[in-house]
Amino acid sequence: MDIEKKIQHLTERLTYIRDIFAGKHNENVRLLETKMEDYRQREASLSSQDRAAAVATLEDLFGFVEQKLENDLTPMDKVRIVRHPQRICLRDILENVYDNYTEIGSKDEHSIDPSMVIARAYITRRQGKKTFNQSVMVIGQEKGHGEEFRNGGSVKPWGNAKAQQYMQVAEIENIPIHTYIFTPGSYPIEDSPGAGQQIAKNIYELSGLRVPVVAVISEGGSGGAEAIGLADRRLMLSHGYYSVISPEGAAAIEGRLRDGERASQELIERCASQLKITAQDNLRMGYVDRVIQEPELGARPYHFDFFRTLRQEMLRATDEVVLGVKGWGPFRALALRSRKKKATGNFDFDSVHIRWSLSSSARDHLVEKRHKKFRQLSRYAAVDPRPWTSHFADWLKQALWDGYSHFKYDFFRRHTKNVSHALEDIDAEVRVVTNSMVHFWRKLGAKLFGRSRRKNAETERQLTKLSEWDEQSARDANWTYTSPRAKEDRAITCPNAEVQGCLDLWAPDLFGEFAGVCPNCGHHFPMEYQWYLNNVFDQSSIVEFNSDIEAGNPLSVDGFDLKIEQAKKATGQKSSCMTFEASINDTKVVVAMLMASFRGGTVGAAEGEKFIMAAERAGKKRYPFLAYVHGTAGIRIQEGTNGVIQMPRCTMAVRRYIDDGGLYLVVYDTNSYAGPIASFLGCSPYQFGIRSANVGFAGPGVIAETTGMAMPPHYHNVYKALARGHIQGIWDRREIRFNLTQALLTMGGRNLYYR
Amino acid sequence: MTNTAHKVLVANRGEIAVRIVQACRKLGLDFVCVYTAEDAGSGHVRLAKELGGPKSLYRVASYHDANELLSVADDAEATAIHPGYGFFAEDYRFARRVSQRDRKLIFIGPSWRVIRELGDKINTKRLARSLDVPTVPGSDRPIYDEMEAEKVARTLFEFQVDNGIKNPLVLVKASAGGGGMGIEEVHDPDLFRSVYRRVRNYAARQFKDEGVLIEQRIRDFNHLEVQIVAERGGANIVHFGTRNCSIQSTGLQKRVEIAPGFDPSSIAYDFDADQLLADITRHSLALARRVKYDNVGTWEWIVTRDGKPYLMEVNTRIQVENGVSAAISRIKGKSGVDIIAEQIRLGLGAPLGYTQDDITFEGMGIEYRIIAEDPDNRFTPWVGLIDSFSWPEQPWLSMHTHVPTDEPYDIPTEFDPNLALGIVWGKDISEVRERGISFLDALVLEGHDKSGSPLKSNIDFLRKKTNRILLF
Repeated sequence: MDIEKKIQHLTERLTYIRDIFAGKHNENVRLLETKMEDYRQREASLSSQDRAAAVATLEDLFGFVEQKLENDLTPMDKVRIVRHPQRICLRDILENVYDNYTEIGSKDEHSIDPSMVIARAYITRRQGKKTFNQSVMVIGQEKGHGEEFRNGGSVKPWGNAKAQQYMQVAEIENIPIHTYIFTPGSYPIEDSPGAGQQIAKNIYELSGLRVPVVAVISEGGSGGAEAIGLADRRLMLSHGYYSVISPEGAAAIEGRLRDGERASQELIERCASQLKITAQDNLRMGYVDRVIQEPELGARPYHFDFFRTLRQEMLRATDEVVLGVKGWGPFRALALRSRKKKATGNFDFDSVHIRWSLSSSARDHLVEKRHKKFRQLSRYAAVDPRPWTSHFADWLKQALWDGYSHFKYDFFRRHTKNVSHALEDIDAEVRVVTNSMVHFWRKLGAKLFGRSRRKNAETERQLTKLSEWDEQSARDANWTYTSPRAKEDRAITCPNAEVQGCLDLWAPDLFGEFAGVCPNCGHHFPMEYQWYLNNVFDQSSIVEFNSDIEAGNPLSVDGFDLKIEQAKKATGQKSSCMTFEASINDTKVVVAMLMASFRGGTVGAAEGEKFIMAAERAGKKRYPFLAYVHGTAGIRIQEGTNGVIQMPRCTMAVRRYIDDGGLYLVVYDTNSYAGPIASFLGCSPYQFGIRSANVGFAGPGVIAETTGMAMPPHYHNVYKALARGHIQGIWDRREIRFNLTQALLTMGGRNLYYR
Repeated sequence: MTNTAHKVLVANRGEIAVRIVQACRKLGLDFVCVYTAEDAGSGHVRLAKELGGPKSLYRVASYHDANELLSVADDAEATAIHPGYGFFAEDYRFARRVSQRDRKLIFIGPSWRVIRELGDKINTKRLARSLDVPTVPGSDRPIYDEMEAEKVARTLFEFQVDNGIKNPLVLVKASAGGGGMGIEEVHDPDLFRSVYRRVRNYAARQFKDEGVLIEQRIRDFNHLEVQIVAERGGANIVHFGTRNCSIQSTGLQKRVEIAPGFDPSSIAYDFDADQLLADITRHSLALARRVKYDNVGTWEWIVTRDGKPYLMEVNTRIQVENGVSAAISRIKGKSGVDIIAEQIRLGLGAPLGYTQDDITFEGMGIEYRIIAEDPDNRFTPWVGLIDSFSWPEQPWLSMHTHVPTDEPYDIPTEFDPNLALGIVWGKDISEVRERGISFLDALVLEGHDKSGSPLKSNIDFLRKKTNRILLF
């Protein structure tokens, strides 16, 4: 019987090997197959002792082959490993790493989203004779060894919303959070909320969460991973992957495939290795803190040693975070530090006790540290050709601004405010007295003399003579920038012509005076970003900064250097993000603009860095911060995790700015999709769409492929985005200037907005 | 004098298309006409066939589609476009497109800049005020602020009371609006705020601009016009007298026009009517010179019972009633003035060739708009088949119509219901009245609709009104 089980087990291992190598290493697979077959043939004729010996030999052979194959693993093999149903899943971890747990809100398929599992668990530690139960909130995607209702760990928006809710619960309970990332990516559905909309909320929540968060990445699929991945410590399983996009998706884009076509296996493998998706790559780039070694060919549920390692690593990571921010515990911190240098092996974290609840000041410190940590990431991945002298000058200027800003806003303003409030009160008091006196005399005068002739003449003058009017402020169609398309003598057909009966439009009218808006149905044709620069902001008020920071090719993807150079040449820009100060009706604002014309407005390390610096500048100068999204196709996939990491980084910058009282406005134009929507743009409380724009998470191709359903029409239209609560309003392009003025007037933060 | 190498696309229909074709013939110009399927029986189609042959006619899907009209122009190798009235006549974008496209054409009408400048009612009002031309009391710029709006409304009420108006009224108009949309009246200052908000919200929805104008609502007035004619470049600008268009339907559509605007020689007015006509003419010319007006146009005025004129708007196009001014005008003593021909001639760049001193006026003219409608029932249009339509020719009468007299005509429902214009001339008011009545008496207009009921027309209404012309 035992032998039967062992054989069964070996058969599963064989299937596993066959699956993860997908037709490669056939000679090894064949060897194992033949040996297994041999054994089966002989099985009946062997004594039970011989059988045991034969099985032991087989097991050795399997071990040997597995070890050998382990050295030949390619990144794509690892992708197949994490996707394999035999891979460990969250349930295995809950069973084996924690001492006790209760699943919250799910029983198998009965759950708001079975692909997201929340559990309250505890780990028991023993110090001498005392035992301590240390509670944690476990949040993670559950792939359930291929159970269909788990949706492969692809979480729907409401699953992420549930995760967000229990992050808040953990914060109230003051217990650490352990997250386990087992997701190929989020399920691209636009509901209330939409996929991107909810992920943005999660990242925003995590960036300010006042309890320790430790994340473990097994399958880190882009946005879905970030929804629970922003953590104080990020650990990664050695056979996992963490990537901006699936290698198949990257290959489809790289090979410019139309829907239905499949990329060649070779191209997929090449993309997988170029995107630097493995644990070792991500450790080198700094996006994970440690790699947890798995057994050969990846951890499976019977690898009990692995679970012990994982438990130690989780204890250690949580301890490190806690001790890092706690005021007291010098010896334990020292012990921990000395352990850091050695392997974990012989130190038992179960036998030390470190209380995981934090004091209020430690919690402040925790959030601050988390922000610092992410602020440092990916900086090398952007090209900054400025010499060190200018870096130094920049640093000095920043420091001076810091000091000045602190003095002006935190000290000076507060005191002058008190004085002026007192003066206002006195003035109001005096007026009450004088008014009643003046009123009396006026009334008496009117009774005695009637309305004066002089006054009548004045009234007549007011009503019949030319009044003063600043026509500059008038909202008319005198656009200062005209699109080059307005110079072509041709007729343009409105896409709504068939439904709305719009007549063909003459290009000079449409792209000139009409500002790209169909006068019949109001359809907005896309306009160049220059149109906005010239027609939204005050004349020549735009001052660009940080223009030297350039988009590069941090992963040295073949041929991408050339593509980036071409984009720079074609647009005259060095990245897709332009940051500048400008004014709108004399109100100063800091603007970060994503330009669709530069590689689809994709965001990489340079764009992220510029965005963060813009947010920081707005904070220091106490200016409103506007993200004008002329268009973005998402994270720049050729930068891999250097791009993905901008999601948490930029969101944290925005969070710091908002928490300091800033007004953060987002305006979407043309098409805005994916990563940026699901993080630093989507987290703004004030997001507006230009009419006819699209705002969403995934494009029609991805939706069709992952959901198996064709995308409904107008799925990402701003009206839909408004209806599902993603954006807060829809603006007419011709009215942006007015609407922005209005937004600054009515939504201005408590200490940021000065006229 | 006129460059006969030109070919004019007549981008209009019906009566005005007929007159434009006739004017082209008079000037020796080639022309091309367009028509839609429902207009196949219209007189302008028949005339075009008669005078220009089948090549001078193109069928189009709509008179409103600029692309289609321009394709016709290109195909027919037209060099100029006459928009008539309505459709593209006051569309400065169309005028601009015509004159700026790769294959440029002459737009027979004022240049697009002038159309744009005077098409904007706020701009017109401000231009007028800058020249001390009287305009309706009230604001001359869009008001966005509620407090300011209330202040203007309050002063307007006070102002009217001070001027002895018993029931003061204030109008709130969407400043970006037009054609009577987004206008409301306020009779009680307390109601102002709610009306203001309603109009403002309507304007924001409809015109994407919350601005409103607040003006005095003037009642009890006569509607006068000044006919302006100018050559290209705007150096020579003359007027062809005044018209009185106060006889209108309940929907404020003109039914009878008389030239000149008042007749102080036989009717007593409460004010100096000669002086008033001179004033509005002078003001109109001043504004025309200011904008360098460069084709025909009409300055519309309202005149109150106590003789105060206010400039309302400028129509930068030929008007239906141009013929009645032509009927009383003499150039260097000669009759037979044709303002449409003048428009085409000047539009193509010919010099004016005469001065204001060469223009004299003689007698009085009445234009009747003959329409199938029911004046007793809010001027509801009548639809059906015209069986017979005829009138005795007279030396003092000219008829302009696209309705055939020798075959039945099915009135299309898509367009302006004007059937014919009858212009009657007399040496003085009594003669013109007498001739007008005799014209209407002799006019035969019969027909029936699908249910067999007889045609309804406004002939009785016109007859009744003939005795009241030029009375305030």
